[in-house]
Amino acid sequence: MKNLGSIFAAYAIGWGIFFVYFITVARRTVALREDLERLKNSLNRGK
Amino acid sequence: MRLLSNTATLFGKELRTEFRSRELLTTTIVFILIVIVLFSFTFDPTASESRRFGPGLLWLAFLFAASLMLQPCFLREQTNDTLAALRLAVSDPFAIFLAKLAANTLFLLFTELVMLPVFAILYNVPILGVFPQLLLVFFLGSLGVSVSGTALSAISAQARMREMLLPLLLLPMLTPVLVASAQVTVGLLNRSPFVEWKGIGFLVVFDVVFLTALWLFGEYLLEE
Amino acid sequence: MKRYAFCGTLVVLLVSAAAYCSLLLAPTESTMGSIQRIFYLHVSSAWTGLTSFFVAFLANIMYVYRREPRWDWLGTSAVEVGVVFTSVVLVTGPIWAHPVWGIWWTWDARLTSTFILWLLYISYLLLRTLVEEPERKALFSALFGIFAFIDVPLVFGSIRWWRTQHPQPVVMGGSGSGLNPVMWKVLFFSWFAMVTLMILLTWSRYRLEAMRGDLDTVRREAEVS
Repeated sequence: MKNLGSIFAAYAIGWGIFFVYFITVARRTVALREDLERLKNSLNRGK
Repeated sequence: MRLLSNTATLFGKELRTEFRSRELLTTTIVFILIVIVLFSFTFDPTASESRRFGPGLLWLAFLFAASLMLQPCFLREQTNDTLAALRLAVSDPFAIFLAKLAANTLFLLFTELVMLPVFAILYNVPILGVFPQLLLVFFLGSLGVSVSGTALSAISAQARMREMLLPLLLLPMLTPVLVASAQVTVGLLNRSPFVEWKGIGFLVVFDVVFLTALWLFGEYLLEE
Repeated sequence: MKRYAFCGTLVVLLVSAAAYCSLLLAPTESTMGSIQRIFYLHVSSAWTGLTSFFVAFLANIMYVYRREPRWDWLGTSAVEVGVVFTSVVLVTGPIWAHPVWGIWWTWDARLTSTFILWLLYISYLLLRTLVEEPERKALFSALFGIFAFIDVPLVFGSIRWWRTQHPQPVVMGGSGSGLNPVMWKVLFFSWFAMVTLMILLTWSRYRLEAMRGDLDTVRREAEVS
């Protein structure tokens, strides 16, 4: 197959972009969930 | 026709405000002049090259100038806290936009017409034969710039980094205006001039579409 | 959570199946050879990006008239996901063009319009970071999103017209040039797989935004008490 490198690069980079975005969103979601839990706990303790 | 009479009154106010100081017009004219001169260093300004590159660069200069000139449009109202008063004074908030965009179109057109002979002399392009047609494309292009620019300046006036934000929002949105206006102007400055009616058509469509959008959604731009 | 994991698995399967079809099942194109297979990823991403921006447009209109935060959350998620898909289009285009034409970028009509589209929606995301008050941020980005979307056909139309005046090599061949029925099927299947990916990514991003909204509400409650 001619230009195998370019085909591989295109698909790898394309999927890479989707994957990186997904991971970024997942990480931020986990961090935010932890913040939310912490805040809820401190509120409950305050009450 | 409350809308028209309100618009006329506000339009008069816009003109009076500007002609009291004339600072917007003078700074815009000088800015376009500087850009036109600087452009001469970017290519070889022979007659044939100027005909090819000149119109695009001229319109680019107008677009940059407009994105600076349109900043004070709503910022002025914000710093002087007059927007609430304006909204109370009119029944239809669209009148405020109509007045401002009419004024902005006029100011832009004025600066463009002042700069046109300067451009023609500096770059050796003939304009007298096609002056009415140039006036048409300048008017339609300036209207397009003003409609989107006035709407977006209402947004940028209330954001941080507003000096950078307005060009950032406005310039990509004005791509169709730049493309169509530059193409029509190239046709008019050709050795055998012709009117690119498709380009004129694009400009008319752009103006109508954005005017309609502004009429539908403008009042939300002015919410407190 | 179970629903989410199930959908995620489904999306991975569909995208893998689409990749298999594009890379192995689809017939090799006669003039360009195997490099043409990038077309399935490139075009399906482009169509999905536009679909995402259309979803954002609808969400923006709903927000302006209803003022419910969930429409703002959907709008911004759909725009972000649309920008991701459009980025893939802009990256795969040059990777395709370079072996075929020897140059990375040709200013062809569709790629140039896609670039402007990308810039327009990057501006949308920048606008959101520069307006602080949450309701104003939501309203202004919704209004800008509406103006941006109605500009899209004008951008594509004007640039295509301009390119007929100044022809350049067209990336990916002209529209529908030399596509046999199998290729069309693979393309539509790829688009379908990409749309499911779009839904998954938008859902993930929406959850993040909704959670942020919850956090703000809880914080405000904490301040009050």
